[in-house]
Amino acid sequence: MELLTLLFILLLSLGAGLLVQWLPMRHQPMPTYPQRAPFLGGGTPDSHAWSRYHVRYYPMTLLLIAFEMEMMFMYPWAVVFVETGMKAMMEMGMFLAILSVGIVYAWREGVFKWQ
Amino acid sequence: MFLNELLLPVLMVTFMLTVGAYVVAVLDRLIAGAFGAPQAGSVWLAPMARGAWLMTQHANATEAPDWQAWRLAPALYLALAAIGLAVVPWSESLVATDLVTSVVLWGSVEALATVVIFLHGWSANALLPLIGGYRYVALGLSYILISMFVLIGVALPAESLQFTQVVASQEALWNVLRQPLGLPLFLIVGLGMTFWGPLNLADSADLAGGTASEISGPPRLVWDVARAAMLVAFSGVAASAFLGGWLGPWLPGPLWMAIKMLAVLLVLLLLGRLLPRIAPERCVTLMWVVLLPLSFLDLVWAGIGALL
Amino acid sequence: MAVSWLRKLASRTQVPVFPVLGKQGDRALRYLALSPEIELVDSPRHASVLLIAGEVPADRFEPLRRVHDQLPYPFTTLWFRSEPWPHLENVPRVEKLDELPGALITAHRELMAGQRDSAPRILTDKPPNPWKGEGDFGQGGEGMMGGVPYGRPMAMNMQDDIRDGLTLDSLTFRLGPFFSAFPPGMMAEITLQGDLVQTWSTQLAPYPQSLDPVFFTARERPVPIAELELARARHHLHRLFQALRLAGLENASLDALRLAQNLSTSSTLGGLRRRLVRSGFFRLSSMEGGVLDPEQARQIGGPAARAAGLDDDLRLEDAGYRRLRFSPACQTHGNTRARWQQTLNEIDQSLHLAQQAERDEVYTSEVDRIETPRGPWSEQGPEDASPLLDEVLPGLEWGEALATVASLDVAAVVNEGGGTQTPDELRVVQGGSGNVFK
Repeated sequence: MELLTLLFILLLSLGAGLLVQWLPMRHQPMPTYPQRAPFLGGGTPDSHAWSRYHVRYYPMTLLLIAFEMEMMFMYPWAVVFVETGMKAMMEMGMFLAILSVGIVYAWREGVFKWQ
Repeated sequence: MFLNELLLPVLMVTFMLTVGAYVVAVLDRLIAGAFGAPQAGSVWLAPMARGAWLMTQHANATEAPDWQAWRLAPALYLALAAIGLAVVPWSESLVATDLVTSVVLWGSVEALATVVIFLHGWSANALLPLIGGYRYVALGLSYILISMFVLIGVALPAESLQFTQVVASQEALWNVLRQPLGLPLFLIVGLGMTFWGPLNLADSADLAGGTASEISGPPRLVWDVARAAMLVAFSGVAASAFLGGWLGPWLPGPLWMAIKMLAVLLVLLLLGRLLPRIAPERCVTLMWVVLLPLSFLDLVWAGIGALL
Repeated sequence: MAVSWLRKLASRTQVPVFPVLGKQGDRALRYLALSPEIELVDSPRHASVLLIAGEVPADRFEPLRRVHDQLPYPFTTLWFRSEPWPHLENVPRVEKLDELPGALITAHRELMAGQRDSAPRILTDKPPNPWKGEGDFGQGGEGMMGGVPYGRPMAMNMQDDIRDGLTLDSLTFRLGPFFSAFPPGMMAEITLQGDLVQTWSTQLAPYPQSLDPVFFTARERPVPIAELELARARHHLHRLFQALRLAGLENASLDALRLAQNLSTSSTLGGLRRRLVRSGFFRLSSMEGGVLDPEQARQIGGPAARAAGLDDDLRLEDAGYRRLRFSPACQTHGNTRARWQQTLNEIDQSLHLAQQAERDEVYTSEVDRIETPRGPWSEQGPEDASPLLDEVLPGLEWGEALATVASLDVAAVVNEGGGTQTPDELRVVQGGSGNVFK
């Protein structure tokens, strides 16, 4: 039931957001081409902006994947943690320690720099 | 049933969304004034007047935007904020949706916020928004982990992933004292999610407004409202997770909650006014090398605390 | 009914103004920054009024037309000390600085009330290149990348990246001359790989800046050092205002501006400096970029040179300054951080010198060789140094590059003196091309 309510709220707020944008725009003419040119302080671009963009932090995104996977284990772990006690603590501690070594290594390799 | 399960939650969320966004606008203006920004006219009317102006301004277009994504992004951001607000408990029973996994849901809201903000920058097909979008992803991928560890930390003593349980577990001692590292770390996440103040890497001045530099009129209004509402949703979550939510003596629970949310908002807005925008490279290094290990520490601390 | 109510409310908002700076238009910008009813915005999409402040030279008319057409409806224009274009009928021209905020508010209110029509579009409604819309997605034909969908080619690149050698697309564009993070009037052609500057070529030099008239007087006869030093501090504070605005410290930037406005020999920098240090301006912002080597530093001169460790200062040759036991303080690193630390130190030093000089009534002795806040002025005034940016900026991340631009005072100085005129009476330099400095 909660999920249904959530879905309802999601759809409603999404609809409201779209409606506020759409209602006033119904009667507006399409802006002229000069208006639609990207703003560059009076300058002009050579090409469209969409491109094979050079993401400078791409090694960091790879590091993230390792942690994101770990998060999936962590949610159920959090619920049973107190029940299981010290054992759960040790297990997660080891896991985090290994991942921390990964961070230190990545840092040394300059992963957090703009490559 | 229909009334209790659908209508009331929707009304609650709508109320929080509108009032919250308004309060954020007013508070920010008051703080700016306190720090010496020139002010004229009524602070209380200003957000409304601005909204009215944005409704009269025509919406801009770019040469070849991804129309669906461009219009959807502000609305989606608003929807994410609404979902965030829906899981904030105002008292034991006064919750829009008391999901058993509300902490996980909030985590997904945080992750999706990154997607939406990137989409907003990318879909305009213009240079400055594009840079803003990509730059934001670097921040979004960095804060998400910190947030997760800190939130898991508050779930440990509660033995539950439900915000109402998390609040209930703070009956004896609020998490802000039990896990002193938690709230400061989580506040950084709040600034990141709403790209506010020092973490405004998406809509910054050096990009002439970044992802918002090409939008005008109603889409910009939705974007601004969504951003403010997200800040409110975040402060609600922070107040529940760390400040004991509705718990408190003398006053009724919802009032305590409102006071705590206002306090969190105030701190966030103050930080937004006091700190300069952080350089993206420094931001990523700081998040991974300093703040993430600190959040590990917070988790270990929380774990030991929960076992003792 | 509902609409008129909405518009009535809309007319009461802070007036969002996009400023287009002509020559000596920065003064209007600073005035408006402290006007409570005006909001200066960085993008024309966020504006209701386009303000043309100061004379825009003819070679920047085309960009001005483009920016003019980029404001969404409804919008209007206002011309400050600048002649409105003839085909824009009934647009007001304002001469007095203190009338400017009022005129902007009136313009916005009239626009909202429907008493004034929105400005017309100037440019014809055509895509930048003709395109036919062939292909699956209307990309314009001639293969995947050859067409010009919506009038523009797609990004394509065979140039290797300067950091990691990957071959990805680069984006080339011209930015300015009305980009708020640039010195007024500057335009550059920039190629970015991601958010990293691959190449930078300054195409239009910034407008020559006018200094406080006391510097021109100092070229003719001895002037009180107190006055000269206050003018110097004011110049630096104005630059600090721009940089802090860019760095996202809006309130601190207004503090700098207010300090500059009310500057006297009893002013101190302590409060502002403490505030900047505590906010983390020197640690969190982009500060590592823009390292100048000694040769480049010498070319720019002034505080930028001293921030790179050169202790050149023409004030050393002045008997008046020797009496005050002046000696230049330097930084060593020559990067953006060093330049701001140097600037703050020099403001502080200027205020101390002014204090001492006022007490002892010290005058300058040299007239042929003076140190302006922009750099040394012996035979010739400080010249335009913007081509230097082409060497300094490549390799920097976008935010770093713009922080570097803000920290370097590259514009030339207007050579013909304002004499004893007040700044407001300084004649706007006429002439066609913005590239002519004399």
